[in-house]
Amino acid sequence: MPNEHRASRDEAPQVMSTLGTAGTKRSARRLLKANAWFVFAFLYVPIVVLVIFSFNDSERVNVWQGLSARWYGEALGNTQVISALRVSLIVAISSTIVSTVLGTAVALALDRYRFKGRRALDGTVYLPIVIPDITMAVMLLVFFAEAFKLIDTFGPRLTLGVTTVALGHIAFNISFVAVVVRARLDQFDRTLEEAARDLYATPWRTFRRVTLPLIAPGIAAGALLALTLSLDDVVISAFTAGPGATTLPVYVFSTIRQGVTPELNAISTLMLAASVTLVVASLALQRPRSTTP
Amino acid sequence: MASAPPPDAGPGVPAVEMHGISKRFGDVVAVDGVDLQIGDGEFFALLGPSGCGKTTTLRMIAGLDIPSEGRLAIFGEEVASWPPDRRPVNTVFQAYALFPHMTVEQNIAFGLQMRGIRGPDADRQVAEATALVQLEGMEHRRPSQLSGGQQQRVALARALVNHPKVLLLDEPLGALDLKLRQEMQVELKALQREVGITFVFVTHDQEEALAMSDRVGVMSDGRLLQIGTPAEVYEHPANRFVADFIGRTNLLEGVTESPSAVRLDAGAVVAAANELAAGAPVALSVRPEQVRLHRRGETPQGAPCLDGVITDATYLGHAFVYTVAISPTAGASGTSAGEQAATITARSETGSAALAAGEPVSVSWSPAATTVVAD
Repeated sequence: MPNEHRASRDEAPQVMSTLGTAGTKRSARRLLKANAWFVFAFLYVPIVVLVIFSFNDSERVNVWQGLSARWYGEALGNTQVISALRVSLIVAISSTIVSTVLGTAVALALDRYRFKGRRALDGTVYLPIVIPDITMAVMLLVFFAEAFKLIDTFGPRLTLGVTTVALGHIAFNISFVAVVVRARLDQFDRTLEEAARDLYATPWRTFRRVTLPLIAPGIAAGALLALTLSLDDVVISAFTAGPGATTLPVYVFSTIRQGVTPELNAISTLMLAASVTLVVASLALQRPRSTTP
Repeated sequence: MASAPPPDAGPGVPAVEMHGISKRFGDVVAVDGVDLQIGDGEFFALLGPSGCGKTTTLRMIAGLDIPSEGRLAIFGEEVASWPPDRRPVNTVFQAYALFPHMTVEQNIAFGLQMRGIRGPDADRQVAEATALVQLEGMEHRRPSQLSGGQQQRVALARALVNHPKVLLLDEPLGALDLKLRQEMQVELKALQREVGITFVFVTHDQEEALAMSDRVGVMSDGRLLQIGTPAEVYEHPANRFVADFIGRTNLLEGVTESPSAVRLDAGAVVAAANELAAGAPVALSVRPEQVRLHRRGETPQGAPCLDGVITDATYLGHAFVYTVAISPTAGASGTSAGEQAATITARSETGSAALAAGEPVSVSWSPAATTVVAD
């Protein structure tokens, strides 16, 4: 299926350019339209199926028995689901806050300052984006184990838990936030800061009143990406979690071994609703406001 | 002539005073030992080609660049190391640098807010500044909803609302089209008279500098070559660069012969006052409008005179512009007279009789209207 889809996309412009008459143009346009619909279907039909079947009043996933919200009740009544959801939210929110602050700081430092080790930082800060999840997960696990061994010699008995999951998420989220914020900084006109300085603003107030509001859409987009990635992550969460630190995706992944249940459909639909809400909220945030800043 | 007192400079402390100001960026010397005094209430232009250091000089007054060397005082206060937010100056930036996320009103109020002025007092001052630049009714628009000229006014109001001791303008009219630029020249000059603030503005447009300013400082390669009134720099350029950069001129190459005469490469020895030792290589600067054309044989007595042939005649409506190729004069004894024929551009009012290309003519000028310039 994916191959078919790619082929049709490549052909369409060619048809457009080689055949110029009105008739062929019209058929080319029809082809493009069909292609667009195909892509939409490819992307969204599974989602629609998931959502529909999450309202299936049946014990078995593939047998439709009528509309019902019973599996939502079931899911929300499941203490394991609720506790996994809690862990997910704690990890996602805390890692997003920390990585947004640190990632923005990294982006600003790389954009503004020439310091020792800048090139090295510039080259490595994006590494977590390209290295495979599994490598990152193993790396973090080894790191935590070694670090705990070292710290434990001074007394405390540290174990993997919610904190280590959050730290793992921060480790990769910083990179994503930095990339997004830096793209925004590239378009930022530095003379605006000079103008603010010239108009009696201290460096800090220049940042607060001019720089920050203007790069805020970038920071918001970065934060949203971090939140989504954190809520979504399975591999790193599974490796860095200890007992009682199971996130929702990890829970879903572990229960799916016993087969897909309608309850999982319901949970997935809820997660989908959450991410769609987040995206819409961020788009609304990023729209230029017409009243006071 | 650099020591001529500025017409508007008060007897008090100068608004801006620079002593041996230099600015280096790595190995590049952007500004090289500038000495400058700008009087209180003066309209001063820093003029020069791009990359001559004029903008850097302005930025050092603003505090956006810190001098590598030298002393800088604003109304007697040494400010060379002060950050920009502590200096009593404001800047109109080249591309205006208006805050895109704020309305016109918020842009103008920014400086007041930063100094802790709020409430009705701030509102009144913002309204005054808005009225000063005729932007009433635009208060709640964003910069992106304004035309270039309107944005320029916001930038002016945003600076002037703070009553700076010195207003700095970096190519303020550069982004406007010609017609609007000419209108704004007049308006800016009137505005300066109205607010009475010292204006220092940077431009590469010599006409703009001459038209607007009380005094002009001509810069090239980081050095300040000449300071004077527009008439002084135009009529008595200090060197070859200034003569060539300000307006159009004819530069006739030659060597000094005595304190009152120059031997031109074209052959003739002409009267021209100079303060250089005999034998110094110089150029004689003669403005096109000072050149008079005569038919051969009708040459006036006592004025320096060269023979030539008109090679081009251009009709400009209000004037003719002639290009005259100078014929080497046999009278140049000993020297290899006029190896390369010089050309002279002459300009005359249309009222006079038109001359055609190919016509043999004599050109003359009044010795008082010329300046001897060295490199």
